Amino acid sequence: MKPVVKISNLKKKFRNKEILNDVNLMIYESQSLAIIGESGSGKSVLTKCISGLLDFDFGNIRYKDIYSLKNSNEKVKNQHISKFGILFQNAALFDSMNIYQNITFGNKKANILKILDAVGLNKDCLDTYPANISAGMQKRVGLARAIVTDPEILILDEPTTGLDPIMSIQINKLLKKLVAKQKLTTITITHDMSSVYEYADKVAFICDGNINWYGDIQDLKKTTNIKLKNFINGKIED
Amino acid sequence: MNLYKNILIFLGLIGNFFYSVMDSLGYKLFFFFSCIKSCVTPKFYPQLLLNQIFKIGFNSLPVVGLTALFTGMVLALQSYTGFSRFSAESAIPNVVVLSITRELSPVLAGLMVAGRSGAAIAAEIGTMKVTEQIDALKTLSTNPYNYLIAPRLIASVLSLPFLVFMGDIIGVFGGYSICVHVLNFNPNVYLVNTFNFLQFMDVFSGLVKASVFGLIISFMGCYHGFHASGGAQGVGLATTYSVVSSSILILFFNYLITSIFFSL
Ligand SMILES: Nc1ncnc2c1ncn2[C@@H]1O[C@H](COP(=O)(O)OP(=O)(O)OP(=O)(O)O)[C@@H](O)[C@H]1O
Ligand SMILES: [Mg+2]
Repeated sequence: MKPVVKISNLKKKFRNKEILNDVNLMIYESQSLAIIGESGSGKSVLTKCISGLLDFDFGNIRYKDIYSLKNSNEKVKNQHISKFGILFQNAALFDSMNIYQNITFGNKKANILKILDAVGLNKDCLDTYPANISAGMQKRVGLARAIVTDPEILILDEPTTGLDPIMSIQINKLLKKLVAKQKLTTITITHDMSSVYEYADKVAFICDGNINWYGDIQDLKKTTNIKLKNFINGKIED
Repeated sequence: MNLYKNILIFLGLIGNFFYSVMDSLGYKLFFFFSCIKSCVTPKFYPQLLLNQIFKIGFNSLPVVGLTALFTGMVLALQSYTGFSRFSAESAIPNVVVLSITRELSPVLAGLMVAGRSGAAIAAEIGTMKVTEQIDALKTLSTNPYNYLIAPRLIASVLSLPFLVFMGDIIGVFGGYSICVHVLNFNPNVYLVNTFNFLQFMDVFSGLVKASVFGLIISFMGCYHGFHASGGAQGVGLATTYSVVSSSILILFFNYLITSIFFSL
């Protein structure tokens, strides 16, 4: 498999707080990577650096040996960002637009019915506004908006958080289908281990600003890494 | 030796202070030119521009109109008090129209719009910033400068002169109605006195001011909104900063532009 994005020695600080120090990670084509880790460990920050929404302080991010983000100009950066479809942690829907406008965003070619069906939304909600729908529905609209542009890489920041168990299973199934059928490259941040087992190929465990563990999903359960083990089983270190 | 060290620390503090001032000033200047650039480079959003012209220009009309009306009325009464003491009542129309067009209409409209639309711009963009909507725009291949800033900047630069011109007319009408109906001036004489001494430059300088104020208002709103952080509190701060800084800049630039026109 070919790497799409290669992250090397990435560091990111906010003021004097170091969030990421020395992250090395490969994102391979049509592979589904799950990023897990404690709350506040920098998962969202890492994906924002990968997609070019945040500048990093040190290290580099290369795209397929075509360009690298370090020292690149505005045009390259914008091109890079538009390769990604992102479901933000809080959905980040445009609250001045209704659901229809949110999903299509002026894109007339969008096959809205197919997309709605895919994320399990009813077309009755199309002319309501984001403030008037539930958080779970907002997540689904956010997902619809992320996939409608046929992005090369899909980033999902906690897609199932805030959804009921049934909806979570549905979303997991949908993501599995998307990954399998469209050969989509996805990066999923999640706390929900069931969605990791459902459709992830690779898992990266982020801890103390590093990728503490990286490997195949099959090896996850056999790991001897104490921190990772505790994280998966929800144990607290004594 | 200790004194020498303290002096060095002191100099270091001064240096740091100036460095940070210059750094933030430089960044603001850079941001300003990026904003201006976004107004003249595609992609353009005419629909959003129209929306903003409607919001900033048309919807501010009642506030600006009322302000101008009462200012014109008060101006007539006050100058009557002064001028009647040395029988110079005939100068009142002239004083009213000059003060309104050159000074009061632009400044008051500027301050009103800063409180009304400048705050709205900062709050809207600030909310979009802290809820990651601006990041979402970027992923949809939309440049937030072109999409959010350019329409607001252009709309306010175009709308303010329009508002000020309406304010001129309404303010003069306020003075006229007080003089004619309360102070028993002859209406025709009042109008003749108003327009006889009025020069093109008087109105024009007011409109130039208005454009500059429009630029200040929307730029400050966009700048503070774009740099909001930390949830609702951050958006509140951005709104406050935007109104305070644009009000002060309006008063400062008002003096600057007046002195430039004065020396012409
Ligand atoms: N813009 C910012 N300015 C300052 N600090 C920030 C900023 N964004 C994130 N941080 C800090 O970076 C750290 C990591 O944040 P991040 O959102 O990546 O966590 P996370 O791993 O996604 O957690 P969660 O699972 O709760 O979403 C946090 O401690 C946060 O305070
Ligand atoms: Mg997060």
